[in-house]
Amino acid sequence: MSELRRPSARVQLAAVFRKEVRQTVRDRRMMFLLVAAPLLQTVVFGYAVDFTVDGVPAVVVDRDGTDLSRLHARRLLADGTLRRVPAEGGLAGAESALDVGSAAAAVIVPPRFGADLVAGRSPEVQVVIDGTDPNRSTVAGAAASRYFGEVAEDLARARLAAAGRTPPAQLALAPRILYNPTLESPPYMIPGIAAMLLLVVTTIVTAMGLAREREMGTLEQVLVTPIRPVVLLFGKIAPYVVIGFADLMLLVAAGAWVFGVPLRGPLAVLVVGTLLYLLTTLGVGLLISTISRTQQQSFLAGILFLLPAVLLSGVMSPVRAMPAWLQAITWVNPVRHYAEVMRSCLLRGAGFADLAVPLAALALIGGAVFALAVARFRTRLA
Amino acid sequence: MNDRLRRSLVRVGAMASKETLHVLRDPRTLALALVMPVLMLFLFGFGVSFDLDHVPVVVADADRSPASRELVRRITGSRELVSAGEADPAEADRLFRRGDAAAVLVVPAGYGAKVARRERIALQLLTDGSDVTVANQVLSKADALVRAETRRLVGVDLARVDPPLQVKLWTRYNPAGRSALFMVPGLAAYILAISAVLLTALTVAGEWERGSMEQLFASPVGRLEIVLGKLAPYLALGMLELLLVVAFGAAVFDVPVRGSFALFLLVGLFFLVGMLGQGLLISVITKNQLVATQAGTMSALLPSLLLSGMVFPIENMPAALQLLSRVVPARYLVHALRGILLKGNGLAALWPDLLALVLFAAAVLALATARFQRRLA
Amino acid sequence: MLGPPRPPAIEARGLTRRFGAFTAVDGVSFEVAPGEIFGYLGANGAGKSTTIRMLNGLLAPTSGTGLVAGHDVARDPEAVKASIGYMSQKFSLYLDLPVRENVAFFGGAYGLAGATLARRADEVLARAELRDVGDVTTGELPGGLRQRLALACAILHRPEVVFLDEPTAGVDPLARRTFWRIIRDLARDGTTVFVTTHYLDEAEYCARIGLMVDGRLVALDTPAGLKRTWVPEDVLVVRGRGLREAAAAVAGRPEVKNVVPFGAGLHLRVAPGSLRPEDAARLLSAAGAAEVSVEAAAPSLEDVFLAVVGNGARRAEGAP
Repeated sequence: MSELRRPSARVQLAAVFRKEVRQTVRDRRMMFLLVAAPLLQTVVFGYAVDFTVDGVPAVVVDRDGTDLSRLHARRLLADGTLRRVPAEGGLAGAESALDVGSAAAAVIVPPRFGADLVAGRSPEVQVVIDGTDPNRSTVAGAAASRYFGEVAEDLARARLAAAGRTPPAQLALAPRILYNPTLESPPYMIPGIAAMLLLVVTTIVTAMGLAREREMGTLEQVLVTPIRPVVLLFGKIAPYVVIGFADLMLLVAAGAWVFGVPLRGPLAVLVVGTLLYLLTTLGVGLLISTISRTQQQSFLAGILFLLPAVLLSGVMSPVRAMPAWLQAITWVNPVRHYAEVMRSCLLRGAGFADLAVPLAALALIGGAVFALAVARFRTRLA
Repeated sequence: MNDRLRRSLVRVGAMASKETLHVLRDPRTLALALVMPVLMLFLFGFGVSFDLDHVPVVVADADRSPASRELVRRITGSRELVSAGEADPAEADRLFRRGDAAAVLVVPAGYGAKVARRERIALQLLTDGSDVTVANQVLSKADALVRAETRRLVGVDLARVDPPLQVKLWTRYNPAGRSALFMVPGLAAYILAISAVLLTALTVAGEWERGSMEQLFASPVGRLEIVLGKLAPYLALGMLELLLVVAFGAAVFDVPVRGSFALFLLVGLFFLVGMLGQGLLISVITKNQLVATQAGTMSALLPSLLLSGMVFPIENMPAALQLLSRVVPARYLVHALRGILLKGNGLAALWPDLLALVLFAAAVLALATARFQRRLA
Repeated sequence: MLGPPRPPAIEARGLTRRFGAFTAVDGVSFEVAPGEIFGYLGANGAGKSTTIRMLNGLLAPTSGTGLVAGHDVARDPEAVKASIGYMSQKFSLYLDLPVRENVAFFGGAYGLAGATLARRADEVLARAELRDVGDVTTGELPGGLRQRLALACAILHRPEVVFLDEPTAGVDPLARRTFWRIIRDLARDGTTVFVTTHYLDEAEYCARIGLMVDGRLVALDTPAGLKRTWVPEDVLVVRGRGLREAAAAVAGRPEVKNVVPFGAGLHLRVAPGSLRPEDAARLLSAAGAAEVSVEAAAPSLEDVFLAVVGNGARRAEGAP
């Protein structure tokens, strides 16, 4: 009497996939959030994230006031790392500027600077830096140190020459920067931002999906059918694989067109890497949904995964700067591996051989997470 | 008038206690809301740092003289740069692709001889430019080390020479240059933004979905009363999170608290109200948990992270983005918190930030209340 | 037509389900014949939905056995699921999909595809009288049509047994009639229907009825049989004013077995033939009631329900 003793998995999968697509694509707000918003964000944040530190506001307190001191002040500011901001009231004014934050550095040229310099007495220039932002303060401090260091070196050489002795060898660093000669931030950041956005778009939505069906009551109706757990789960994530890929293509295109992010490596690496990455992010979403009762819970759990995943991925800050034990932990973070694959492939032109390790890691993590999600999924209510 | 106000407050109180009971009865959400800040703090404190140590540098020494070996030893013996072995410069590409090294130092043949002849020598440093942070630090450090080596050669030559010029560097407020001090205020803003927006977005949207909103409309509670009552417990939760972050920051990362505690609470309060209002606005508009969370994430999480000055300085951004950051409340909180905690700033310095936060909060609450229609259609 | 007797479509033996310390279903046993419309009644929380969930494979029994369409619900729930259709108490189809898409999805879940699916989809939509609303979003359908859609999706794969949990809750009387017409058609074609309901007038349509109280099956019989067992008395329907006070006077008389408030009036249960309506009216008026009218009525299932639930626990020990 019953039709079809053992329903075909392929038919079931097609039915689930079609329903998921219908539900997601029909909702215009969701489609905007899943496709248009990431693109928008990438463009905006591509402009926002900039690691190059220049134009640090600096106050120059010239207590000497001679031509020589003014010359040095001008030369110090010449390369643009420091940007002069006016401040009244000498030393006190400089201090308050630092306190309020209108300046991040104060260069104090001592009185009789010029005279001391010429006479061979050793004047002391003071540089006060606001250390709240370590990155900025290091660069500002380094710029001041380097400039005055060069001045000192030149003077020492001149004195040696004047004393009739040949100055010693002069070493200079000649950097040759590969892949990104002007050290632009976007080529570095955009692959990372893309990884992050893909995570946000896929994991949270999948995590909430099953929980939503549980809350709405539709899960009960689905569980009473002979749909296999694997089919149900695969069918649920399939549309997001498609959306994820669409997002990726858009983001790479935007990166290339707006920010000049190159595409030096084989496209196949990008495709395979993205596929594996999506499998892990979606798998995590599914896993979360199998352990949550409500949408709110699955969302919070998703965020709890997302935040460390993004922060410990090398997207914001280098993995190398983390303590050793934390670096070890990042090995199970799919975002780290995917960001590496993206950066290496897009910027350095790396191929499958070079990226074997991160790709394998992604495959392992994805497989494990997905298997766990399937195992945990119960076809009974209790 | 007084009587009406009193009755209104009673209604707000009733709503607030109902909401609080809801929150308390959901231990998972509560635990997550309180665990998340501490977790984030640890992650940020330990995980997000720009202080690089032991960056691997490969050396291609074509000279192999005592002078070149001395140079290599001094450069790779520093804390920041370490030797990752020797290789040919032609392999730089492969090394970089595999992430085995960040730079290749090329010492030319005849280095030792040139040093003896007191000539000018250029040392090529092939640098992996794809990782901008690392590249910047490698270049900066290598440059400093090479200069130090030059000065050492000068010093060796000159028996006793007074340096012609000295530079004394003072660093204020964060002498050790620890990223944690920089991060924690920004982190507080980030965490609060997330919790506030997302929790409220979920709750109200959830109520719409479950249909319990209908029930509320049948009672005499007014729109503003609903808004205030619903926000109340999350305000308390948010303040708790703020205190947690700063307490842990002080305990574990030695983040100081130099300024006025009252001012600290005040800016935190208004920031929270604004973010809660934002979450509420989103849920009132979307009435759907799934959409609300996505919209909340996009509008709160990422801008707070990237446009608040928390990690990337705002002055360096293009003008359009600097303008955009003016409507990101996190920006003002980050600036204010840094001022209060690290510099001991007071109201005199920070009143613009406080004003901005108050304005945002008022605007968002007004919008949310206006859109909260007490009819079903 | 004749042949060896067919095995029961549903067989429950001592089915029990506990949730922690709470026993929701306690040792329930019954059989349902193929093609029978079997009704299941009980108060809210009596354990009806839990019983259904055990029988359709959604909940594992704590103890006892259940056989549905020949499959063991504990050992082979997937085979059970493939042979049954289910309509849950809370509407559980996708509100954001149009009617046809819901049908297509559940058809695919049961393995129907291509021409077969199209044919069956058309058939069930016709049977459920939903042909004209195929493209309407499910959320926009009125309650009655939604329920019919849920039924349609439950019978796509021609299951042997269909479980309906309060299928007509909140539906207007006309729509309910239509729904039961469809159910009767199904049964006539050989499908076994297991239905729970609160509407006792609908329960009359059932071949047999089981009554649950606090997790136990306390009565099981045809509607007529139940009335004979539980309401063996005559029922007099009394309407009027001031009845509450007057009823006390009448309640003490030996012929009167029970006085039950019913709506705005009373039901008097009297030993068969012992008290005529006119006499009852006279007694009540004498006791102070006004505008009294008394009619003899056949006992209804509602009377049965009240009798069972009222003293179901005690009677259960002695009832067959």
